[in-house]
Amino acid sequence: MNFKNIINTESLSFRILTRVLLITVSLFVLTLSIYYIYTRNLIREAARENAIQLAGNIAGKIAQQLQPMEKLPQMVSATIEMGLFDKDSLIVVLETILKRNPNIYGASIAFAPNIFPEKGLYFMPYAYRNNNEIISTFLGSADYEYFLMDWFQIPFMTKKPYWSEPYFDEGGGNALMTTYSVPFYYHTEQGRVQGGIATIDVDLQWLTDIVSEVTIFETGYAFVLSRNGMAITHPDRSMIMNESIFSNSENWEEPLLREIGRDLQQGNSSFSEYNLKNKVKRWIYYTPLDAGGLSLAVVYPDDEMFASLHKMNLILLALIIFGLILLNFTVVKIVNRLARPLVDIAKTAHKIAEGNFNAPLPEVKSRDEIRLLRNAFVNMQQELGAYVANLTATTAAKEKIESELRIARDIQLSMIPHSFPPFPELPQIDLFAELKSAKEVGGDLYDFFLIDKHQFCFAIGDVSGKGVPASLFMAVTRTLLRSIADKVKSPSGIMKLLNNSLAMNNESCMFVTFFLGVLDISTGELSYVNAGHNPPVIIPGDGAVKFLPLANGIPLGLQENYEYPQFSLSFKDGDKFFAYTDGVSEAENSQHQLFGEQAILDVLMQHKSDHPIALIKAMDAAISQHVSGFDQSDDITMLSIAFNHGSANGTPRNKP
Amino acid sequence: MKSNRFQLIILFLLFAGLSLSAQQKPLVFSTHWLPQAQFAGYYMAQEKGYYKDAGLDVIIKHPPANLNAINYLQDGSADIVSLFLITALDARLHDFDLVNIAQMSEHSAVVFVSFADGPVQTLKDFDNKKIGIWEGGFDESPKTMVKHHNLKVEWVPILSSVNLFLMKGIDLMTMMWYNEYNQLYLSGINPDELNTFSLSDYGFDIPEDGLYVKEATYQDRKAELQAFVEASLKGWQYANQNFDETIDIVLNKMRASKVSANEAHQRWMLSKILEFQGFSGDQEKKTQLMKVDFQKALEVLKENNTDLPATAKEITFETFYKPLLIE
Repeated sequence: MNFKNIINTESLSFRILTRVLLITVSLFVLTLSIYYIYTRNLIREAARENAIQLAGNIAGKIAQQLQPMEKLPQMVSATIEMGLFDKDSLIVVLETILKRNPNIYGASIAFAPNIFPEKGLYFMPYAYRNNNEIISTFLGSADYEYFLMDWFQIPFMTKKPYWSEPYFDEGGGNALMTTYSVPFYYHTEQGRVQGGIATIDVDLQWLTDIVSEVTIFETGYAFVLSRNGMAITHPDRSMIMNESIFSNSENWEEPLLREIGRDLQQGNSSFSEYNLKNKVKRWIYYTPLDAGGLSLAVVYPDDEMFASLHKMNLILLALIIFGLILLNFTVVKIVNRLARPLVDIAKTAHKIAEGNFNAPLPEVKSRDEIRLLRNAFVNMQQELGAYVANLTATTAAKEKIESELRIARDIQLSMIPHSFPPFPELPQIDLFAELKSAKEVGGDLYDFFLIDKHQFCFAIGDVSGKGVPASLFMAVTRTLLRSIADKVKSPSGIMKLLNNSLAMNNESCMFVTFFLGVLDISTGELSYVNAGHNPPVIIPGDGAVKFLPLANGIPLGLQENYEYPQFSLSFKDGDKFFAYTDGVSEAENSQHQLFGEQAILDVLMQHKSDHPIALIKAMDAAISQHVSGFDQSDDITMLSIAFNHGSANGTPRNKP
Repeated sequence: MKSNRFQLIILFLLFAGLSLSAQQKPLVFSTHWLPQAQFAGYYMAQEKGYYKDAGLDVIIKHPPANLNAINYLQDGSADIVSLFLITALDARLHDFDLVNIAQMSEHSAVVFVSFADGPVQTLKDFDNKKIGIWEGGFDESPKTMVKHHNLKVEWVPILSSVNLFLMKGIDLMTMMWYNEYNQLYLSGINPDELNTFSLSDYGFDIPEDGLYVKEATYQDRKAELQAFVEASLKGWQYANQNFDETIDIVLNKMRASKVSANEAHQRWMLSKILEFQGFSGDQEKKTQLMKVDFQKALEVLKENNTDLPATAKEITFETFYKPLLIE
């Protein structure tokens, strides 16, 4: 397995791998997402429950301290209204309260202005702690108009008990304090009037201690808020009494915080989230406390809350990546091992294609589709081998036959005269002939020879069929013609004997169309006989070309003792003669159109004054043009004779 | 050697300058409230050395919550004080010889506030209601406004907090737009939960913060006072252009004075104070007291004071306002 194989995107392993990875990764992502969301919700829910419980505990501890304190001014108020206390003994009452309740820093009974005319505008007995002593005094002066203070004014005007907003008390060592005030009524001469306010001052240090103890994860914490949202306790001391949940909402540009604050003021509890200025997420559970006008909030840092989940996610991710790499390697390895025989088979197929039929195919031990393929290849290899062996033998035989045919052709061609001009000593005759076989050997023939000093015999023929049988029949015809012409001089006589000889024992029923002429070169007298051959054309020196008038007769070899009528014609000086086989007139082009007899006449007319050689070459050219490359299907044979009677007196004739 | 001599001369001149300014009598300026963004411009003038550059040795002090800054002027522990126009004019009517040398604020920031779901929806609804109002002054214009509309109300004196209003112990409360109004917001009350009645919308747009000195100081230290006003203006310009830096300085100042320092609140206050002092936009800040404002303030005070001394009649715009800057 090399690198190139791995990244070949068309390879089997790559394609399988990409599909497997796609599905696997999708499944992992889906599973991980579901796991993440589910676990996150689970953790959040656990944190919420934890927060509720935690806040409940703290709230309980705080209420345990504050609620009993509320009872004290309430009892004082009730007792004053019942008129059980003399105004001058009130200091003692306050001192007693402080003695009995070490958690209370100070207590007062602040009367409304002018309740006791003899005491003046102000009357406010007050006891407070100073170190370990309890000190009592009377407050109220132009510099300390206590009825304008929130702790007095608010409960007095609303006629409801009131926990003041916490404050730093300079007298009390700058401790964070809050005052619980209860309004009371007083019976004077004018009747029942609002008498004033009974208060206790509570040092909130213990509250800070309780809340500071709380730690949540690493940096989570709890804090207490006043009614106005002000931080009463906070791990960041600069927040205390300086920042409220509403001002931090502005500072951190987090409107959610304001909503939380407002919800809290409505007395609601909830677990919700918000962001710090740096967009760090926090979870907060908030709930009002039952006393002090205070609320409690516990804060969970999001990152710490979900730290275990994030750690788990990292581990899972690492495992998944490791698993995917392993899967990757395994898939590539398995697929490559499975596909290796395929590659080997492909290589062998190439060798087979190159001709090595014995190239060894890889061994396949498995019993799978690849084994089937290999078996098919073995079978193909064997069949191909046998076929090619057979083909080699056939080809050798064919080549032998072709070679023999080439020899036969040479022999056949050597049988017909092929040196031109054939009779240079006879100026009266100019002659040219041409034979083009469609196959190696053909059935066409022509021949010419002198029977005696004046009698010039010529013939043209076409054996039925083609190939070797036709060529043999042609050879027989030509041989018989020569031997018969030795004995018989008249064309009809020659023809009759030739026919009889060929017809005798002609079991294969072959025949030959044949035209035979004998020209008396001294007179120009032509005698001729035709045995079913295409009529030759006479080309007069003057006047139109025309087919030789003749009787068709039946081809030679078909019927013994057939009488072939003889015709004669007188050649004038300059007349020409043109004979041909049906290979000329029936030359076909690709549209199966025949060359035709009219075309023969046209060409001859056009070239009537040409020498026989030029004439035949012109005819050749016309045929070639007609067939325009279409395969020659029949032998083509042409023979042309020009009669030059005037040259008989020894006028030498120019060679063409 | 030559350059050494030159350096010596420079050093001598520097020391001479330092000893000169050290000999100068310091100029004590008192704000009329505890440290907060309302006085940011003066802090910045000092922080950025504008007073020093003007050759002044300025000391900024703040009176405690229960003391009127005018007392400092009276007992000579401050040379310049920042006061509301109405407070200063009232003092002047009662024979205190102070003069306005620069009017910083241009509009009234006083506003009546009620809960939108409460009984007070319009000015008419003020009738027979309890209205919280500052105990230590600034109460003249709201009271005059209510009187002008023939409304009978119960005035409830308030020291400083908005808690009585929040606890609904009163129906309405007078507030400063740049201060108490935002304290409501920072206590969780949304603007749409409140109705506001701005004094400036009801014909009582009497400007507030201005700088005041004794007539005698004005006569004796005119040049120093002018330098002080110019440098203070520079300080305000700087505060306007460097908002965040100014807020930091204000907060530090507040923390140093152990005053509860809340950034969100001081941001609101500074932005509103700058608006009231006319720093919004590109217009050049002016320190001019408008005669019409003076007369309005005088009217209000005369309506509220039936027992004015005879000398009050002699007070005119020209005797009260002694501008130091030519504008």
